[in-house]
Amino acid sequence: MSIVSRCRTWWKAITRPERLNGEIEDELAFHLASYVDDLIRSGASPDEALRRARAELGALDAQRENCRAAFGTRIWDELSADTRFGLRMLARQPAFTVIAIISLALGIGANTTIFTITRQVLLERLDVYQPEALRLFAWTGGENRVPVRIWGHWNETDHTCTSFSYPVYQQLRHQNRVFEDVFAFKVISQLTVSVHDQPEPVTAELVSGNLYSALGVNPVLGRGIQDLDDGAPGTGAIALISDGFWSRHFGRSPDVIGRIIQVNLTPVTIIGVNPREFTGASSVQVSPDVFLPFSMEPVVAPNDAKSLLTNPEQWWVLVMGRIKPGVSDASARAAMDVLLNSAVRSTMTVDEGHSVPHFALHDGSRGEDLNGEKYSKPIWVLMALAGIVLLLACANLANLLLARAVSRQRELSVRIAMGATRGRIMRQMLTESLLLSVAGGMGGLLLGYAGRNVIPHLMLSSWETELIPMRFDWMIFGFTAAVSLCTGLLFGFMPAWQAMHTQINRRLKENVHSATQSSSNLSSKVLIAGQIALSMVLLVEAGLFIQTLANLRKIHLGFRPDNLVLFEIEAPNTRYPAPKDIALYRQIERRLASAPGIRSVSLSKNPLIAGNVSNDDFVPDGLPLHRNAPSYVDDNVVGENFFATMGIPILAGRSFDNTDTETSRLIAVVNQRLMKEYFPNINPIGRTFLSNKRHFEIVGVSGDARYADLRDDPPATFFTLYRQQTRSEPSMTFEITAGVDPAALVPGLRDAVAEVDKDLPLLNIRTQSAQISDRTRQERIFASLTTGFGLLALILACIGIYGVMAYSVSRRTNEIGIRLALGAEPGRVLRMVLGAAWCLTVTGVLLGLAGALGTGRLIASMLYGLMPHDPSTLIGAALLLMFVALLASWIPARRAASIDPMRALRNE
Amino acid sequence: MTAEQPDLFKGTLDMMVLKAVSLGPLHGYGILLRIEQISGNRLQIQQGSLYPALYRLEHEGWIESEWGQSEKNRKAKYYRLTAAGRRRLHAEKEKWNHMTDAIGAILRATGEEV
Repeated sequence: MSIVSRCRTWWKAITRPERLNGEIEDELAFHLASYVDDLIRSGASPDEALRRARAELGALDAQRENCRAAFGTRIWDELSADTRFGLRMLARQPAFTVIAIISLALGIGANTTIFTITRQVLLERLDVYQPEALRLFAWTGGENRVPVRIWGHWNETDHTCTSFSYPVYQQLRHQNRVFEDVFAFKVISQLTVSVHDQPEPVTAELVSGNLYSALGVNPVLGRGIQDLDDGAPGTGAIALISDGFWSRHFGRSPDVIGRIIQVNLTPVTIIGVNPREFTGASSVQVSPDVFLPFSMEPVVAPNDAKSLLTNPEQWWVLVMGRIKPGVSDASARAAMDVLLNSAVRSTMTVDEGHSVPHFALHDGSRGEDLNGEKYSKPIWVLMALAGIVLLLACANLANLLLARAVSRQRELSVRIAMGATRGRIMRQMLTESLLLSVAGGMGGLLLGYAGRNVIPHLMLSSWETELIPMRFDWMIFGFTAAVSLCTGLLFGFMPAWQAMHTQINRRLKENVHSATQSSSNLSSKVLIAGQIALSMVLLVEAGLFIQTLANLRKIHLGFRPDNLVLFEIEAPNTRYPAPKDIALYRQIERRLASAPGIRSVSLSKNPLIAGNVSNDDFVPDGLPLHRNAPSYVDDNVVGENFFATMGIPILAGRSFDNTDTETSRLIAVVNQRLMKEYFPNINPIGRTFLSNKRHFEIVGVSGDARYADLRDDPPATFFTLYRQQTRSEPSMTFEITAGVDPAALVPGLRDAVAEVDKDLPLLNIRTQSAQISDRTRQERIFASLTTGFGLLALILACIGIYGVMAYSVSRRTNEIGIRLALGAEPGRVLRMVLGAAWCLTVTGVLLGLAGALGTGRLIASMLYGLMPHDPSTLIGAALLLMFVALLASWIPARRAASIDPMRALRNE
Repeated sequence: MTAEQPDLFKGTLDMMVLKAVSLGPLHGYGILLRIEQISGNRLQIQQGSLYPALYRLEHEGWIESEWGQSEKNRKAKYYRLTAAGRRRLHAEKEKWNHMTDAIGAILRATGEEV
């Protein structure tokens, strides 16, 4: 067939050019020989015959070329010639080439890195059968919706929630007609699982009995969870484990099936191992370790009262369905809304003024997608930053190429005069740009590969081990390749376009130095001003974020974070039902206090500066209710040494001590802020207040300390003693001060806790300082990235200014020579060149100022202690840019001023 | 090329080459000779354009080539028509006949007929 023969001949011409040329020569030689024979036979002399034969055939080289070209190699040959020529041109200007490739590699590398994250966090779908047909169930409800307790994610902005009660889920599942199957799941973090008697915190996913079949997931070993496993609450002590868990604990041994592990101290049999790609229904990034049927809820998520599986008030289950083909989302939503309404009314009593929430459908192809929601804003900001840097690199290269193209005008004119078409010239120029961008792209790919885990590291707490693994595959490669090509076209187009419009006659007549190129010069100037403006925006933002960080670091915490080690202990409800949990904490506190190297031990319900806060009602006895005072204030449940350990001063009265026990009278310490708000001009010591139906006596006033977050002023807070707590506390944070290095302390802490209960793991071990810097993670990411990108932009802008000024000076050598010859002072020439650079810089800075003010509103909420239009930051960035710009134009200006008039005039 | 030789239509060289090799495998020089011989020496092929045309026809898959020995024991490249080339030749012939008929009709036309 024609296509086959075309490819075959083309391939032959491309891959074996020597052989093809040899064949052509042989063939032509045969032709000549035969023709010469015939001519001689008809009477010509041998010399004459050879001459005629050669003349009639034409030049052998041309014949060879034409024959080769008949195999369709013209474009290829031109391309490879262009490439070779381009490589030679680039090799001739190594400095330019290196700068271009490095700036492109940085720009493309930044984009590749961020695309890796974007893809994983925002784009990837669940690796299950037809994820696009999955829908996540949700509901919306306003202020007066039926009151339910939500354990899950509540979206404040659009009042939607994806949690349902288990009874409602069951009705939705059994009555639905629009979904092929409806299944449920719930991720529960920090269960304690013991394998080989080693306790370890794990993440579990409760799944309904039909989840495996509905998602089409086949375990690599054993079987999936089935409806039979998901029976009455408390039954079904079976589990599937993730690929990671299988590797970590069982070395991928196939006889893991039938093994028994302890989940929250309950024996559970392993019946299967999930495929590596399956990450559960909730997240596309990380798989929970253990999968259990919902019937195990009483074991893994114990609740004080009754099982959540029968509780209609607790909404906690995530529900998904696979929509039937041909059913639209709108009609499915309408049908499910009716079902939800009847399900809610049949499981709960709906009062007069309350409304039933409305059903909503979310895309389920990415699971619950909490990460997507959480990280989408920072990721978009990062993408925008990386995009800006790449644009800067492009603008810069376009500029350098423009300047170079002008100096190549003569060469191009000659080529056009000799018959090169304009399209051909443009192709040649674009080939050179693409060579640069492809080299830059390769560098960028390497950078992106090396940096693929940097940003996920920045985004996670330092003690969190659950790193999202970043995959690097053909899709990333494709993205980088596409970006490189687009970049090459972007920065190469303008110079190529300009080269194409070279006027032959004018260029050949005029000499290069006097050729005025006002249009290209204008575009260079616009590019430079744009670059300066972008650098200005980045520098201002870097300045704002750095100052925000500094302000946050300077904050008066109200407590002493040095040498403090924190960790959590969870008391499994099955082994430590209230009040045994309090006794356990007391035992651990006393055991730790006697461990070597430990100075002070305390514990609290909420660690400080961790984003956690609890509050309770607060009604002082014997005082008129202050109308404006809130009846709820923050509180914390702490150990007796809390204030001493945390370094919070006691301003009046006393702290807790070991005479305060479970049975002594109820006491509390309030902070200064609470005293000012509730007891103005009254001594609070000895007064009582009512909270949670119990009366507490205030025995002391403490200093104010920041509670949940660095940015919030210390709230009015009261502290109660954990030993006097009657509610159960599923977990407590221990705070330890030690004289030694915190890392050296950890084994001792583990041993001490193991002596109390060997099945209790220490969770989230970290220092208080790490905890604090974790709260400023986002600010640090932005500060380091804007600074890095800002500096890069500054360097690129400098190169741009230098390039344009140097080019303009070399182009005006003649003119400047005349000026000097006519008596202009060198200082005046210097000022003239600097003035031109100054004009550019000021324009760019003013544009950048407008840009910075515009973007300021977007980042205002991330700043602390300064406004987005902070004058000193704006002025500082402007001054820095102007200084650097003048510095960059100083060298060309000096060169202009030191031009020797005689030589300049003789120059042409 | 002699002065009195008629100009060839574009594409007729391809057709003549296909026709020449359709009668049996030939080397390039042989094709040249055969065309001149069949045409009774009324047509001479410009030698310079023959070989690029052969390569183009091979590229299109209408002829295929093979190295062999010439009558004088020289190494020569022989071309033969492929099945696709045979179809192509047929189509070209149809087109050519159609066109010459039409042109002939125009040239034969007299005043009364118009």
